[in-house]
Amino acid sequence: MNTFRLCIVVAGLHLATAFPSQAADHQIGALFPLSGPNATYGDIFMSGADLAVDHINADELLSGELSLRYEDSQALPQRAVVGMTKLVNVDQVPYVLSAFTGVSKAISTLAQRNQVVAVNGGGVGPDLAQLGEYFWNVIPLANLEVRGLVPYLVEEEGLKNVVLIYVDDPLGQAIRTELETELPTVGGTLVDALSVPTTAQQFSGIAAKVRAAEPDAVYIASYGAQQLQIVKQLRDNGVDAQLVTYSGYSVSEALALPESEGLIYTTQSVDYDSDDPVTKRFVDDYTAKYGRAPTAYNVNYYNAVRLFGLLAHALEDKGQAVTGANLLAERMATDSFDLVGGTVSFQDDGTLVAPIQINIVTDGAGQPVATVDVAD
Amino acid sequence: MEAYLLNLGVLISLYAILAVTLNFIMGYAGIYSLAHAVFFGTGAYAGASVALNFSASIFVMVPTAMLCAAALSLLLALPALRVRGEYFVAASLGLQVLAVTVFAEWKAVTGGIGGLIGIPPVDIAGFEIYSPGSFFILSLVTLAAVVAITRLLVRSSFGRSLKAIRDSESAALAFGKNIALIKTTSVVISAALAAIAGSLYAAYMSFINVESFMLDTSVLIMAMVIIGGTGTQLGPIVGAALLLILPGALSYLSFLPQTEIGSIQQILYGLGMAVLMIFRPGGIVGRGRAETGEGEA
Repeated sequence: MNTFRLCIVVAGLHLATAFPSQAADHQIGALFPLSGPNATYGDIFMSGADLAVDHINADELLSGELSLRYEDSQALPQRAVVGMTKLVNVDQVPYVLSAFTGVSKAISTLAQRNQVVAVNGGGVGPDLAQLGEYFWNVIPLANLEVRGLVPYLVEEEGLKNVVLIYVDDPLGQAIRTELETELPTVGGTLVDALSVPTTAQQFSGIAAKVRAAEPDAVYIASYGAQQLQIVKQLRDNGVDAQLVTYSGYSVSEALALPESEGLIYTTQSVDYDSDDPVTKRFVDDYTAKYGRAPTAYNVNYYNAVRLFGLLAHALEDKGQAVTGANLLAERMATDSFDLVGGTVSFQDDGTLVAPIQINIVTDGAGQPVATVDVAD
Repeated sequence: MEAYLLNLGVLISLYAILAVTLNFIMGYAGIYSLAHAVFFGTGAYAGASVALNFSASIFVMVPTAMLCAAALSLLLALPALRVRGEYFVAASLGLQVLAVTVFAEWKAVTGGIGGLIGIPPVDIAGFEIYSPGSFFILSLVTLAAVVAITRLLVRSSFGRSLKAIRDSESAALAFGKNIALIKTTSVVISAALAAIAGSLYAAYMSFINVESFMLDTSVLIMAMVIIGGTGTQLGPIVGAALLLILPGALSYLSFLPQTEIGSIQQILYGLGMAVLMIFRPGGIVGRGRAETGEGEA
C-alpha cells in the first residue's frame, strides 16, 4: 500500500512538471548591486524596474505574468558573471538588466554567446556602445551629454573657460575628448584637465589648481561618493566657479548636498510634467508608490523593462517565441518606441538616441532649464 | 543548470589553485601574505596581454604569466627576508595597495580602470576552450597539477625546511638553513603557480579589470585557507568550494528575499568565521586545536 501511495505521489509530481501552467509567463533578469557599498544604486534601479513590471502586468500587455529575477552583482565583475550564468542557464531568461560598467563588460560576452539581451540603464561610458549587438543602452552615453551641454554653457551662460576634474577611465577620457573637441567649436576653451585616482577622497590640492586656473566653470567627471566629495571640497576650498557634471550626479543624496545648489548637470531628457500618457502614468504612480519624485535612473530602468514588454508583445502578436535573438531582430525592425520621456529610437550600435536635458540644482532637486537635440 | 554548476566549478577550481598556493607559503612557511591577489592579477594581465597581442595558446600564455608573477614576487620576498609575522602582513598590504594603483593606472597594459575586454579563449593545440564544460576539465586538471606540485615540494627536504622556518626561524638558522633563499624560493613558486589561475581566469572571463584583484580578493583567498584548514592539502580546496558555493546556494533558498541574500551572506560569513575560530581554529580539515601544519593529508 505504501509503495502504491508513493507511486501516486511520484506520478502526480511527474504530471505536475510535465504539464506546466498554460499561461506563457515571462521572466527577465537583473544584475544589480543589492549589497555592498553600491547597494543604494540597486534600490534606485529596482524601484523603476519593479514599477514597469507592475504596469505591464496590470495592462496584461503579455499573455502571461511578467516577473523580474534579481541577482546580486555587488557591482563586481566576477559576481556578475556567476549571476549572469545562473540567469541564462538556470532561469533561462532572454533579457537581463545590467548596471555599472565593469559588470556590463563582464557579462557582455556571455550575452553574445548565449544570445541573451543585456540592457544597461545606468553606466554612461561610451565604451558601453561597443559590447556587441546583444548589449543595448537605454540611456544616452556621456559623449552625447557633453555634446548637448557645451553650446548651452558657452552661448547661453557665457561660461567659456572650463576646467575638467576627471577620473582617468573610459568615461573620464571620453568626456575630456568631447570637451576638447566641442568647446573650441563654440568659442570656449578647456583651460586644464586634472585627473584624480578612483579612490581619492581629498581634493584640496585639486581645488588650489582650479582656483589658480580661474575658470568660468568646473566640469566634474567622477561617480559615487567621490563626486560628492569633489563638489563639497571645491566649495569648502573657495572655488566659486559654476560647477557642471553629467547624469551620474542625478541621485537624491547628491542633489540634496547644500554645496550642490546651483550646479548644472545633464540627463536624458524627461519632461516629468508632460501630458504624454506613458510619462504621466510613470510619474504619478512612481510618486504614489515611493513617496518621492523619480530621477533619470528610475526612468531608465522603467524604460528598459517597458522596452522588453513592447518587444515581447510584438513578438507574441506575430506568434514568435520571446527569445534574445527575436528580441534583437524585433528591436532592429522597429523604428521608435514610446517610452517615458517621449518617443525614442536606437542607433545601430544599440544605444538610445534621446534629447539631452540640462538641469540646475535648486532647493535640493534638479530643475530642467533646457532641452537639446543631439545628433550623433 | 548544468552550465551554471560547471561555471561555478571553474571558479572553485581557479580559486582553489589560489588558496593552495597561498597555503604553500602561509601554512608551511608561516608567511602571511595579504597580496596574493597581486599575483593572481599579474597572471591575468600578463596572460591577457599575450593572448590579445601574440598568441592565445596555453603554452604561451601560462608560462608568460608565471614568469611575470615570479619576477614581481621578488618584490614581496624582499620584505619577507627582513620581517615576519604581523610586520610582513603590513608589508604585503603595502604591495597590494601599490599593485592596485598600477593595475588601475598603467593603461597601456592593463587598460586602466576600464580593463581589458575581448580576451580570446585559451587555445590548446588549435582547440579553443571556452565552454564551461571543457574549461571545467582544464581548470580541474590544472588544480590537480598544482596540488601535486605543492604536495611534492612540501614532502621534500625543501618542505621540511619551510616548516622548520615556520616553527622557529632562529632554530632553522642555527641548523644552517639558508633562510633567505628558502623564503624567496617559496614566495616565487607560490606566485608563479597563482599566476596560472590568473591567466586561465582572464581567458575564461574574457574580461578583466582591477576590481577582481583588489584587497577584498586577497582577504577572500586568505579566508579560504583559514576556513578550510591552514597547512593542510585538502583544506584550501574545501575552503574555496565553501566560500564560492555559499552565495549560489543561498540564492536557491526561495524563502529568502532575493534582495537580502547579499546581506545574509555577509552575516553568515562573519558568524561562520567567528564560530570556526572558537571551535575549530585549525579550520574544517585541520585539527580541532590550532596545530597548523600537522594535519596535511
